[in-house]
Amino acid sequence: MAEYRLDCLGEACPVPLIKTQKKMEQLKVGDTLIVEIDHSCAMKNVPEWARKVGHNVEIEEVDDGEWEIYIEKTK
Amino acid sequence: MNFTNSPLYKKIFKDAWSYWTGAILLAILNTAMLAISGKGWGVTTTFAYWGAWISKLFGADVSGWDFFQIEANAKALGQSVFTNTGSAQNIGIIAGALLATLLASQFKIKKLKSYKQVIAAALGGLLMGYGARIAFGCNIGAFFSGIASMSLHGWIYAVFIFLGAWIGSKLLVRYFMT
Repeated sequence: MAEYRLDCLGEACPVPLIKTQKKMEQLKVGDTLIVEIDHSCAMKNVPEWARKVGHNVEIEEVDDGEWEIYIEKTK
Repeated sequence: MNFTNSPLYKKIFKDAWSYWTGAILLAILNTAMLAISGKGWGVTTTFAYWGAWISKLFGADVSGWDFFQIEANAKALGQSVFTNTGSAQNIGIIAGALLATLLASQFKIKKLKSYKQVIAAALGGLLMGYGARIAFGCNIGAFFSGIASMSLHGWIYAVFIFLGAWIGSKLLVRYFMT
């Protein structure tokens, strides 16, 4: 049930998505990854991918133009 | 009541519009632009004009260049940011984007992640600018407006932009994923 953070602030598409996909491979089932982003199109494509794969996803707007995407690995 | 909590505000200003909504609006606006100005939407030809005007300020004479032998381009040499429709369109894009991000309260000055990013952005910008000139337009003027006006060069542009994007994504994974 470990928690990891991935700093993608200042990164443009598709870098946050590819980094998230790579990082998720290293996680164990039940672990959570928090992706920090400030690029609004990553706010769309990262959760979209994670939901398609079947992970649990939650998005939180932490500041103006800044988000944290919580992804819990389910399988 | 705080209007930022209303579902209508969220739907219009906060959430991203669907691709369908965007596509239909772009089609309507481009048709209107063609009807009013006689030209489809374009972006980068105006950059060449901006470059020419700046060169003129420093005393360079570009009126002899091949590009400015074309009538529309020669005419633009005598114009300024305030009298040129393309300039108004480009400034409109920047002002509109700023307005949209402010209305969504998502404005943020982003920090630079690395100098690699700066070099890649500058190199990419130069390549795109050069490419847009020899292809007679960018992804708006040549691709979007080209295909919309049923010009063959828009479709050829489409094939090569996918090829370029594929090569670009390989380079990106190689140099930016470490």
